[in-house]
Amino acid sequence: MIPSFGLSSAAPSNMTATTLGQKDLEIVQPPDDAISCMKFSPASVPQTYLIASSWANDIRCWEIQSNGQSVAKAIQKHDAPILSCCWSDDGSKVFTAGCDKTAKMWDLQANTFVQIAAHDAPIRTIHYIQRSSYTCVMTGGWDRTVKFWDTRQPTPLKQLALNERVYAADVLGPMAVITTADRAIQVYSLDQGPTEYKKIESLLKYQHRCVSIFTDKSRNPNGFAVGSIEGRVAIMYVNTTNPNVDNFTFKCHRSTPQLPANTQDIFAVNDIAFHPVHGTLSTVGSDGRYSFWDKDDRTKLKTSDVVNDQSVSCCAFESRGQLFAYASSYDWHKGHEGNNQTKKNAIYFRQCFEEMKPKPKK
Amino acid sequence: MGRKKKKQTKPWCWYCNREFDDEKILLQHQKAKHFKCHLCHKKLYTGPGLQIHSIQVHKENIDKVPNALKGRDNIEIEIYGMEGIPEEDLRAHEKRLAGKDKDDSDIPDTVKVPQPPPMGMPPMPPMGMMPNAPMMPMGFPGMPFGISSMPLPMMPVPMMQQLRPPMPMVPTAPGNSPNNLLPPVPSKPLFPSGATDNNNDGHSSSNLTTMASAAAAISNLSATNLGSLPGNRAKIEPVAGTAKIIHPDDDISLEEFRACLPKYKQMMMPQQMQMPPMPVGLSMANFVRPPMGGMPFLAPPPGFAPMGFNGPRY
Repeated sequence: MIPSFGLSSAAPSNMTATTLGQKDLEIVQPPDDAISCMKFSPASVPQTYLIASSWANDIRCWEIQSNGQSVAKAIQKHDAPILSCCWSDDGSKVFTAGCDKTAKMWDLQANTFVQIAAHDAPIRTIHYIQRSSYTCVMTGGWDRTVKFWDTRQPTPLKQLALNERVYAADVLGPMAVITTADRAIQVYSLDQGPTEYKKIESLLKYQHRCVSIFTDKSRNPNGFAVGSIEGRVAIMYVNTTNPNVDNFTFKCHRSTPQLPANTQDIFAVNDIAFHPVHGTLSTVGSDGRYSFWDKDDRTKLKTSDVVNDQSVSCCAFESRGQLFAYASSYDWHKGHEGNNQTKKNAIYFRQCFEEMKPKPKK
Repeated sequence: MGRKKKKQTKPWCWYCNREFDDEKILLQHQKAKHFKCHLCHKKLYTGPGLQIHSIQVHKENIDKVPNALKGRDNIEIEIYGMEGIPEEDLRAHEKRLAGKDKDDSDIPDTVKVPQPPPMGMPPMPPMGMMPNAPMMPMGFPGMPFGISSMPLPMMPVPMMQQLRPPMPMVPTAPGNSPNNLLPPVPSKPLFPSGATDNNNDGHSSSNLTTMASAAAAISNLSATNLGSLPGNRAKIEPVAGTAKIIHPDDDISLEEFRACLPKYKQMMMPQQMQMPPMPVGLSMANFVRPPMGGMPFLAPPPGFAPMGFNGPRY
């Protein structure tokens, strides 16, 4: 358990309280352009590392020490913006993919960075798959394909054609979910090699933007949350006898209706992450806030204030559930006009184990 | 009645003083008798809900709750089942009960068999659909959380048949979906309807029965207590008149849109340049700067080894 770290007057500058006025800490040396994806090192690694990919073409790695101090560790670069990143299960490799249509593997010990995959269009998602009988890397692209790679071979182990561009994906244990531009949701079973398991009809009416798998009490993946650009998240179970009862959607990341016409701004849900221990989830949106929710109780646990007057582009939970990280970056939801290049990009993190606990039922 | 003893407080309807065996039946009664739109027969969940529906759909202002006693017909007060009943009325009622304990004249008022559902059901399918169309062009922004997979007009019928026996609120479920749905505990900011949140009055239609029983148990950070319920409702009531999705275009993702920008687009064509122009003055130098005990970046292994990335090589 990471001891709680407060802010002492002797704290080095990288631990200064942010403008948030909370206990959130800011990471040192954030990327120079929007952060596209963040992941904490897996639980198998004793220390805590965070990787973040950005539109500045780089992937950066920090160590988050138990006293809350972040230490910049290493950096690698692609030729174009990186859209997604992930860790291998043993924490020795980092995988990145993005607009240069390639995916690369970063061996952290050897500090090598080699290409392991290629698509015909930018690669939107990259995930590591480890099962008892095989291991591979899954990439989903705007070229409407999802490919599975053995990193030692230049051609994919398997390739699946989809109807539309991949917009989001997630992998957890034996389950993978991919959602595309047409709002199709395809669930894959991974145990005997990636095979299509079920196609699920979305509850959402608008473009899907993010998807995250959740588990049951025994930590077996049994469903996923998918978020859309219309400030809404759907919680869907893969196998349920009563989908009409178990599956539901909830609204989020919307402004309070303003008088006189009660106009309400609806923002995109940029990312969803589930707490690895409590099973509660976080959503972050274009509105610049993050919210915590309990999907079983169907309640909201908390909504933050607007962070830095800027959208929150992605979020992640540390593998042991101690920390919550969120990135403050412009996500382009207002197009080019909304881009303020003087605004900095930042990654904040906070202790979250207590606040992510579901509220006890009376 | 299979009961030997009367419960201390049997559920009763604030609008007309009738008593019921249990709260479910009370709810059905309220929806059928007091929260039913006289124009389209749509059943709402509360008085204010009915008022809003009336204004939005029929452009008619309702100021009295139908079939209510004089003095109990205030449409702005939010009653749902037994929730929201002002204290003084609660006490007055109990006094009356105590006074009339020996008098059996109240019993005929008790509704045993839920009549509303049979009445409500047949007209539902056609009605359920109509109000939907004019009201919710998008169908979604107005939709409260918890419509368990009810993408609106899509499946009203199967829903009803399936849920009819156990759930008293079923008959209205499909019809209500685009509309004001009120949870049994409207004051508790459930999914999306945080106290600060927008939201269509924090309505939820999913599993109302479980919600009703867990009403008191719903744990929620910003939960307000029932006492302030009417006040709260008034605040959240103004349903979003116009909702605007802050997003450039529907058929392209934000990333695709951004990637079209010249500065990024160039980078996607590897043939065109040898030296990829860094978009925002990417400073690798900066990244190396902090005193790290001389730990160089992009350096050979020694810089990394002490990190202890253990484990089998892939």
